[in-house]
Amino acid sequence: MGSEARAVVIQKRRGLSLDGWAVLVAFLLALLVRVGIFKHVPW
Amino acid sequence: MADAIAVPQVRSAHSGFQFLRLIPGVLLLAAVGYAGKLLEQNVGTYAKAHHWTFPNIEYVLWAILLGLVISNTIGVPEIFRAGVATYEFWLKAGIVLLGSRFLLGDVLKLGGVSLGLVAIELVVAITFMTFLGRAFGLRPKLTSLLAVGSAVCGVSAIIATQGAIEADDEDSSFAIAAILALGALSLFTFPLIGHALHLSDHAYGLWAGLAVDNTAEATAAGALYSDAAGKLAVLAKTTRNAMIGFVVLGYAIYWASQGQAKGVGNKAAFLWQKFPKFVLGFLLISVLATYAFFNKEQITALANLSRWAFLLTFAGVGLRTNFREMRKQGLRPFAVGAIGEVVIAIVTLGLVAGAGKLFGF
Repeated sequence: MGSEARAVVIQKRRGLSLDGWAVLVAFLLALLVRVGIFKHVPW
Repeated sequence: MADAIAVPQVRSAHSGFQFLRLIPGVLLLAAVGYAGKLLEQNVGTYAKAHHWTFPNIEYVLWAILLGLVISNTIGVPEIFRAGVATYEFWLKAGIVLLGSRFLLGDVLKLGGVSLGLVAIELVVAITFMTFLGRAFGLRPKLTSLLAVGSAVCGVSAIIATQGAIEADDEDSSFAIAAILALGALSLFTFPLIGHALHLSDHAYGLWAGLAVDNTAEATAAGALYSDAAGKLAVLAKTTRNAMIGFVVLGYAIYWASQGQAKGVGNKAAFLWQKFPKFVLGFLLISVLATYAFFNKEQITALANLSRWAFLLTFAGVGLRTNFREMRKQGLRPFAVGAIGEVVIAIVTLGLVAGAGKLFGF
C-alpha cells in the first residue's frame, strides 16, 4: 500500500482525520510557545 | 512505487504499535531534511573556499533531491514507509503554524484576490481537462479524477472524489500517478520559468499556488523561489483546497444523475466532511496573531516550527516519488495531464499578470 493510502489509513485508525490531528498538534505547539515552554525555536 | 499509488484500504490495528511503526520513517524524513539543510549551509561555503562556481541551492531542493535519489536508487525499505507517509501530516501542521505569519487583513485581501483567481482556474481546468480526456478517449471517470486532481488539490482531491463517484481503483491509481509525476516536474520547471520572466515574489507565489496541483509540491515550488513566494503559494493553494468540497459534491451529483454513483443525502454534511480542516486552523492562528495573542518572539518561534514541519514535508516529497513506477501507469493519462497542466499554467500566469496590474503587485 502506498504513502498516500497509508496517510488515509492512519487517519481512519485514530478516529480523528489527518487534518484534525495536524490542527491539534499545531495548536498544542502554539500553546507551548505561548505559555513559554518553547521560548526559542532555532532554524 | 506502484505501491505509492495504491488505493486506500482501512484495516484494524493496535494504535500503539501503529504509532511505533511511524518512528523509523519520521526519523528518515528528519535525517534527509536536515542533511538538505546542512548541504545548503556547507556546499556553497566549500565551493567558495575552493573558488568554484556553484549555484546557491536551497535546502528545499537539496531535501527533495536527496529523497529522489534514495527513492529511485536503493528505494525506501518497508520499515520506513509508514513514517514517510506522514509527510502530509507535517505539511498540514506546517500550514496551520504558518498562519501566524499572516495578519487577518492580509489573508482576507490576498485570499479574496486568490479566491477570484481560483474560481476562474477551476472553471478553466475542469472544462479543459474534460475536453482533453474525451479527445484522448480516456474512461469518463478517469477523466473526472484527472480534472479534479488538476483543478483543486491533487492527490487528496482524487481520493475524496474516487469514493464519491465510485470510480475504479485503477482509474484512481492512473490519475494519482499522473498528478504526482507532473507535480515533481513542476518543482524544477516553475522556479526556472519564474526567474526567466522576472516574476515578483508575490506574482510567482500566487502562480505556483494556483497552477501546481499537490499542496506539498505547491509549497515546495513556492519556497524554491523565495520565502515570501512560499508564503503566498501556501495562501493561494489553501484557498484552492477550500474549494474541494464543492467540486467533489458537483461531481458526485453529476455521476449520481447518470446512475453510476450513490446520491448525496445531506449536502451540508457532505461539504463539511470533505472540507480540509487545516484551512480553519490556518485562519484561527492568523486571527490569534492579528489580535496580538503571540508576541514577536513567539511568532518567530511558530514560523520556525512551521519551517521544520515543511522540512520533513520536502524530504517526503522526494522519498515518495519513484519515476520508474509512475512510468508503468501508462502514457495517455500522463499526456492528458501534461497538456492540461501546460494550458492551466499559461492561463493562470495570464490571470496573475492581469491581477498584478489591477492590484499593483
